[in-house]
Amino acid sequence: MSAHWIALRLKDAASATAPAPSDPLAAFAWQVLQVTPWVAQVDDALVFEISASERLFGGRAALLDCLGLSGPHTGTVCYAQGATSLLALGRLACVPPGTCTPFPPPGPHVAPEIAANALPLHALARARPHLPTLARLGCHTWGQLRALPRGGLARRFGADVLAALDQAYGLRPDIYPWIRVPELFDAPLELAAQVESAPALLFGARRLLAQLLAWLRARQLGVQRLELRWELDARRSNAQHLDAHHQGSDHGRLELHTAQATQDMRHLERLLGEQLARVRLPAPVLYLRLRSLATQALPTESQSLLPDSVRSGDSLHQMLERVSARCGAAQVLCAQVYADHRPERMQQWQAWSGAPAPVQPLRKPAAVDRDADASGALYPTWLLATPQRLLSQRSGPQFHGPLTLLAGPQRLEAGWLAGESSILRDYFVARSAHHGLLWIYRQRLGSDTPDGTQDWFLHGYFA
Amino acid sequence: MITAQAQQAFVSHPSAEEALQGLHAQVWRAHAWARAPLHTVATGEALLDAQLPGGGWPVGALTELLQEAGVHNEWRLLLPALAQHGSGPVVLVGPPHPPFAPALLAQGLQTQRLLCLCPGAFALDTAQKATPPLAPASCLWATEQALRCAAVDTVVAWLAQVRPHQLRRLQLAAAEHHKLLFVVRSLQAQHEASPAVLRLKLSLNDQSHVCVEVLKRRGPPAADLVQWAARSAALQQVLAAHGAPDRPPRAQMPPARQMRQRP
Repeated sequence: MSAHWIALRLKDAASATAPAPSDPLAAFAWQVLQVTPWVAQVDDALVFEISASERLFGGRAALLDCLGLSGPHTGTVCYAQGATSLLALGRLACVPPGTCTPFPPPGPHVAPEIAANALPLHALARARPHLPTLARLGCHTWGQLRALPRGGLARRFGADVLAALDQAYGLRPDIYPWIRVPELFDAPLELAAQVESAPALLFGARRLLAQLLAWLRARQLGVQRLELRWELDARRSNAQHLDAHHQGSDHGRLELHTAQATQDMRHLERLLGEQLARVRLPAPVLYLRLRSLATQALPTESQSLLPDSVRSGDSLHQMLERVSARCGAAQVLCAQVYADHRPERMQQWQAWSGAPAPVQPLRKPAAVDRDADASGALYPTWLLATPQRLLSQRSGPQFHGPLTLLAGPQRLEAGWLAGESSILRDYFVARSAHHGLLWIYRQRLGSDTPDGTQDWFLHGYFA
Repeated sequence: MITAQAQQAFVSHPSAEEALQGLHAQVWRAHAWARAPLHTVATGEALLDAQLPGGGWPVGALTELLQEAGVHNEWRLLLPALAQHGSGPVVLVGPPHPPFAPALLAQGLQTQRLLCLCPGAFALDTAQKATPPLAPASCLWATEQALRCAAVDTVVAWLAQVRPHQLRRLQLAAAEHHKLLFVVRSLQAQHEASPAVLRLKLSLNDQSHVCVEVLKRRGPPAADLVQWAARSAALQQVLAAHGAPDRPPRAQMPPARQMRQRP
């Protein structure tokens, strides 16, 4: 299959309303890198070769569609096609600036040489310094230049003109310093207008995320940690502003974490939106910068031939990250069981960290099961975070009426090594007419009051 | 309209009932269960299963549990189903107290499966500062997010203030993503309209047994109260050893319901 090159140039009048990345051509080059590795920048244009990837993307038209180059309105770029890179560039040079009509590709029956012969000489960059001389020679097109004797051409205008001509006609290979994707993602963005409120930053950040996606895809990575920085307007910057996002300098920052490396920009955008909703900007913002802090190679999933029953919905990590981004990390808890005799130390509800729960720190899993069978059933299903002091009278403890002690005492004496957290308690199962079965305890030491009543506490409900 | 074939069926079959059933497969009679195939999870209590359409908790539908404010007797009712159904996380949204994981583990629910969202009512830890309770809207939002998550099997939500249209949204989410969803509410909601497929009222009798009354189900109105010992077998043994009264007969017709049954 013959090579197919595309030369591409940004239109001069880029739309002024949208925020533009500082180097839009490089941003586009990353997009093209998803399609082909042969991408190079020549002056202010981008050339790339797509024939090798056409079949994978379902044809040339589908591939151009994938790059957003189909149809008459190609947005902010104009492009031309050709069998060699210089041919494509030459055709691009013939497109008058300011228009967006792509140069019509030649029909399949026209040989590349014949199509190239008609191109004007100013479209060949190497020949441009010699244009007046060539014009006086009566030489205006590529075909006329090529018809001149090669030896004389090389002596008169230099070997590089001849080499460029050979390259344009496909007699020499197209070799360029190819564009490579940087190791770290760090993209700045200048906003079109000053942004006063943090949630409005999301609009600009969305462009950076799209750029990040192109970078991630080109490197086959997933992102785990991201940093978004914004520069505060220096004229109104109050350097004294201190909060979680501003450290008193002229910029603010925000970090995004995901538990699993991801390429899902929709998820990152929602996380960013939740985070930005809680940021208060002390001064307007003009510049944004997005950096990748931690990335991980993303294994590609092998897909099954047979359709399997996929459960609809998003993944657990995404859901929990979203909830903790909106409600706070303390609102997503998971349980951790510890080996201890004190009920309040037997479990701990800790903020969900994303990592799978570590192995039980003190007990072996088998021991958990055996112990659980023996004693766990005697524990209540609700355990109050702090024991609730009960009214006690001579007849016994009261909780919404008198309590009947059904079982007990179960004497607990533990934690004497730890000092202040030592407990001396007698646990009882009690029945309340209103609340069902309760787990209550009596403090054993130094708790007898002069009138003979004792300190009773409610510690759990058998529900 | 009875065709000749149907008349034949009447004559040949001893029971006219059977013949009618064969004829009118599409007709649902009010004293029978709804016929739509239901995916259910057994409750672990045969008497209660018998009262529920499909023989258990409906999956992909909203089940409402109503009980008096401040009283929470739902664990014993829910635990067998939670332990059985799936192996993914069990999401608890807005529990009123910290669940005691060792006790739940002893009754078959793995600790790793427990996830608590929006536990506004209890502090995170003694060392860390208490978290302020969240707005009810956040709890609702978190519930819906949990229902939309592929990995989650069961969601239990304690929603104090919730409007019928919000419940309807949860019901639709549960149906769409095929989740087991329980919403625990206070008894004041008993007379409000609700989109729940199943509504149960939990109360305690004088022996501290949980009585389950089916307020709404897809089928004929329920006549029986199911009484349920609100304690695990091990606890039951301990109580018996201490001379606590044994469990009473578990299904009985209370006088009030009998009055209502009378034409």
